[in-house]
Amino acid sequence: MAIIKNYMMRSLNSVALDDTIEEAIIYMHKTEMPILPVVDEENHFKGTIYSKNILKNIIPEQYGFINRQKILYDRNQAAETLSEIQSRKVKEYMLTKTETILETDSMDKIAEIMLNNKESYLFVTNDKGYLRGYISRGDLLYYLLCTEDE
Amino acid sequence: MITTVTLNPSIDREYFIDEHKAMKDQYIYDDENLKVYPGGKGLIAAINLKNLGYSDVQNIGFVGGKQGLYFEKMVQDYKVTTNYVYTSNEMRNNIKIIANNPPSNTLYNDYTYSVSDKSVKEIKKRFKRSIRESDLIMIAGSIPEGVSFDIYYELIEICNELDKDVYLKASGEALKRALKAKPKFVVPYFKHTNKILDVKVENREDYIKMGKELQKEGAQYVIMPFHTNRLLFDVDNSLYLLSPEDYCIRNLLGAGDAYNAAFFDYIFQNGFDFLEANRYAAAAALDIAEHKIVFLKGRQEIEDSIDNITIEELEV
Repeated sequence: MAIIKNYMMRSLNSVALDDTIEEAIIYMHKTEMPILPVVDEENHFKGTIYSKNILKNIIPEQYGFINRQKILYDRNQAAETLSEIQSRKVKEYMLTKTETILETDSMDKIAEIMLNNKESYLFVTNDKGYLRGYISRGDLLYYLLCTEDE
Repeated sequence: MITTVTLNPSIDREYFIDEHKAMKDQYIYDDENLKVYPGGKGLIAAINLKNLGYSDVQNIGFVGGKQGLYFEKMVQDYKVTTNYVYTSNEMRNNIKIIANNPPSNTLYNDYTYSVSDKSVKEIKKRFKRSIRESDLIMIAGSIPEGVSFDIYYELIEICNELDKDVYLKASGEALKRALKAKPKFVVPYFKHTNKILDVKVENREDYIKMGKELQKEGAQYVIMPFHTNRLLFDVDNSLYLLSPEDYCIRNLLGAGDAYNAAFFDYIFQNGFDFLEANRYAAAAALDIAEHKIVFLKGRQEIEDSIDNITIEELEV
């Protein structure tokens, strides 16, 4: 059976519950990850923080602007709101109801989860809840490609 | 989970050419003649431990800039779990030119990498939360610019707080300061100078004197490189000389890292026995040194070399 562990990205790159939004944004930028796992002080997986969620909190009307003046106004307002929340804790803005998978789960399981949840990344834990890595839609597609070749 | 720490990793590039000559352009068409590796003492040990069959081995450290992303991908190819603090500055690149005519080996060491205070704070936080599943932690190698020489001391103190043992391979001031935290195993190495604790070492007596000094300053066990031998300082103050026999050295790159990894492997497989762990570790180093390889392939190759390792007790 093809298991997640053999296809996942074995990365413990993460932010902690008490890290700030500023730290999370910088880390997202440096690692080119729009979503980060959030862990507690023992590296147990606790949830995720999305760049999209941070944006939603700082932009009053999301996307689709037509009026240039309004874009400028909203951009300034967004920057202002961000400066207000950047020192707030990640735990205030994270999602805790994030579905995870076990490293020993079958690869077939993730296709179902990804289709149902629109998740582009799924975080992987071991049976004790410690973060182990993540698997992306790209990894799933690559797995399917290899299966096809076989 | 096995944890190794590499604070100053590098992207290592090896170019194999015929002639290394000034003002002569070189053209490399065969990919066999251009090797790119992720480098760093703790990381190479982590790759060796993966090759020995350990399921979860993590490497904690700094990586820098866009090259950090490339570096992390390379490490992932070895199935090592990455746990990196990304810094703004680009990480370092070492270049090695290996030429046939005349036979030469030229290394361009890059020490330009620097790290901010913020990243140092972050690595300490990350380290503390990431070692919960490890009982023995390997901290090895140099430290980048911007990081205090106290860093190893601070990381070992975190390990002490969480009741974890430390295997430290360090040099210079970082080693000197780390001793205060009483690491269990200390392996000094020589970078740029042949000094230990600021004292020049030349003959066997000097090495023995400084090994004892390392113990006096806080190390419980000391594994002292002494040419191709090792001086082993046991916790009960007994002293041993470990030597390889009937060997032909073809390569030294990776031998020390194989030693560190195999030392861990012996303990995980058999329990702790200072002398036997070192014998096994030396057999692993010999396997690398006698073959043109950088990473260990498996345990059988180590076992094949074990009879070539002798250990004799020295009079103190």
